[in-house]
Amino acid sequence: MKSVLKLMKRFFFTLLCSAFVLLVLNLGLLIYLTYGSVSNAGGWTSTGELTEELLVDGSGRYILTEKGQEILDEYQSWGILIQNGTGDVLWHSDNLPKEIPLHYTISEISAFSLGYIADYPTTTAAKGENLLILGHPKKTYWKMMHNTYDYALIEGFPKMVAVFLLANLLVILVIYMVATSGILKSVRPIVKGIEELPNKEVYVKEKGLFSQLAEAMNQVSEKLRTQERELKRRESARANWISGVSHDIRTPLSMVMGYAAQLEENQSLPLEERKKAGIIRQQSVRMKNLINDLNLSSKLEYHMQPLRMETLNLVAVVRQVVVDFLNLDLEGKHPIEWEIQEDLQGCFMQGDKELLKRAFGNLITNAQVHNPKGCRITVKIMAEGQGCKVLLEDTGKGITEEMLQKLQNTPHYMLSDSGVSQPRHGLGLLIVRQIVEAHGGTLVFYHGFEGGFGVEMTFPAERMEKGERTCTEY
Amino acid sequence: MAYDYIKQKKILLVDDEENLRQMVYAIFQQEAYTQVETAGCGEEALKLCKEWKPDFAVLDVMLPDTDGFSLLEKIREFTDIPVLFLTALGEDEDRLKGLLAGADDYLVKPFLPKELLLRTAAILRRTYKEETPLVKLSGSQIDFARAEVLKNGEHLPLTAKEHEILQALYRNAGRIVTIDQLCEAAWGDNPFGYENSLMAHIRRIREKIELTPSKPVSLITVKGLGYKLLVEE
Repeated sequence: MKSVLKLMKRFFFTLLCSAFVLLVLNLGLLIYLTYGSVSNAGGWTSTGELTEELLVDGSGRYILTEKGQEILDEYQSWGILIQNGTGDVLWHSDNLPKEIPLHYTISEISAFSLGYIADYPTTTAAKGENLLILGHPKKTYWKMMHNTYDYALIEGFPKMVAVFLLANLLVILVIYMVATSGILKSVRPIVKGIEELPNKEVYVKEKGLFSQLAEAMNQVSEKLRTQERELKRRESARANWISGVSHDIRTPLSMVMGYAAQLEENQSLPLEERKKAGIIRQQSVRMKNLINDLNLSSKLEYHMQPLRMETLNLVAVVRQVVVDFLNLDLEGKHPIEWEIQEDLQGCFMQGDKELLKRAFGNLITNAQVHNPKGCRITVKIMAEGQGCKVLLEDTGKGITEEMLQKLQNTPHYMLSDSGVSQPRHGLGLLIVRQIVEAHGGTLVFYHGFEGGFGVEMTFPAERMEKGERTCTEY
Repeated sequence: MAYDYIKQKKILLVDDEENLRQMVYAIFQQEAYTQVETAGCGEEALKLCKEWKPDFAVLDVMLPDTDGFSLLEKIREFTDIPVLFLTALGEDEDRLKGLLAGADDYLVKPFLPKELLLRTAAILRRTYKEETPLVKLSGSQIDFARAEVLKNGEHLPLTAKEHEILQALYRNAGRIVTIDQLCEAAWGDNPFGYENSLMAHIRRIREKIELTPSKPVSLITVKGLGYKLLVEE
């Protein structure tokens, strides 16, 4: 609804602006159009000029110069010169109409200097003590006979303009309000609907000015929800399918694994055959891990794996994983070195212990699988920023820079939508990334210092440093 | 370690899949378990439980007439023999459900025969303890029943904490036990911050069990990770 208000405000503002612009424009136009005629009111100037062109000859008579005659011709005016005191006409132009008297009283002079002589508009100028009058053709000028205003009126003019403008403004506002309230009323539900569309299903009553719009919006909403449901359904169907397949494959695989293991240990079989059985056993274990990974990965991806969060000590979790592997590595082909930052004792965080163990376990398994001839694995824990950093690095054959970039930046084929692509790496690393990210951590692959493969995981955690808690119990 | 007595225990295998049942049966037989019986459905299993009275049962969760959890519930009505679920249901929820139902362990298919055998042996050993065995170390013997150590004809008593730590180590004899696990064994649920105390206890234990405590041969330190107890056969 905010947006509508904003729209209204802007609309109103535009309206005001345009009103103001119109006002200024009109005023300007008026001034421009009238200025010419006002300044062109040459009647008065020509009269002034003409006083210069009336000369007295030797016998005391007034004579008009040629230039004076030109001025008169230009304005098509006639002129008379009235003597001071007597009111007699001392001089008149040749084109004087007959109805113009040749004698004037003071009262007549007062009247026509303001207005007209026999409907001819007049302009006057002083020629010494005498008065020169030009009569212009009828209808060239309109003369205001009583040009007197109350002083208060002129004084209050600015105030008047302000009141005038304000009144206009008010009227505009009222007109606008009345005009928009109807539109607003019909727009409001639609705008509200659009605003809510991303969050929930929306229904707008399909009536009024915008009934078509409302109808379209209801359809959009319906479509959106259907797609959402469909997508969710498909995702869970996919995850369920994977889960189902992995379940169904477990029992048959148990038998492959079990019998292979039995054959492997059967002393009555030739060594060669037992070795083959051993390979079957190893590969079926791989298949088992793959099934588990596939299932977990799809569940993590579609958020169908509930995280069992508890407060745990990351150090203890990693330590347990390392020890579990050490206890299993009977041949000692993959020794694990444990390094913990001297003063660091605990990294407490909310996490799913089993999943985290799985992640670290996957990484160690990964190092072992890729370096069957053996390698040293170093596990380091240290403080990092607001949390803890776990480094896992091996001294194995490592990977190429190109592979590293791929690993770091390309989505796993399971998550890739770019058709059937080459499997880039096992599910193991994908799961590690998913688990680390589910715990708000970050994961970076790197080249180990001794050429092997390295993984750096950073988790937000609350650190406990040594000496922060003393224990007296013995 | 010779724990032959556990091979005499009666083991009941319940699984609806004939082939798998036979395989598991063979696995136990090969490991020289002498008394193994199988059942293909819940009813049969329940009958055997009542009449044959097994010492240990391996149950499948999905059975034709019932599910393993309900079956366990019924078994629990009259006996509290240890039970291990062996099932294709690998989800954490199922695992928890099984353990909550009162199972002693939960193994997800597919499994390695060795794993099943190790878990079985561990459960049997835990449940049916031999008469307080004396644990032989290189320079001494531990008598857990009396909580004392026999060294050079001397009886050295163990404190409660030392006893608990040693037992935790002994349960995983030959394997590394993490610092955290040992602290948990000695100090319970919130074992954080007892590392120094643990070190002190380990020192005292060594004084009792080692001939040369400064050069331990039975209780080994794995730096930063934990400790390992080496037991003589």
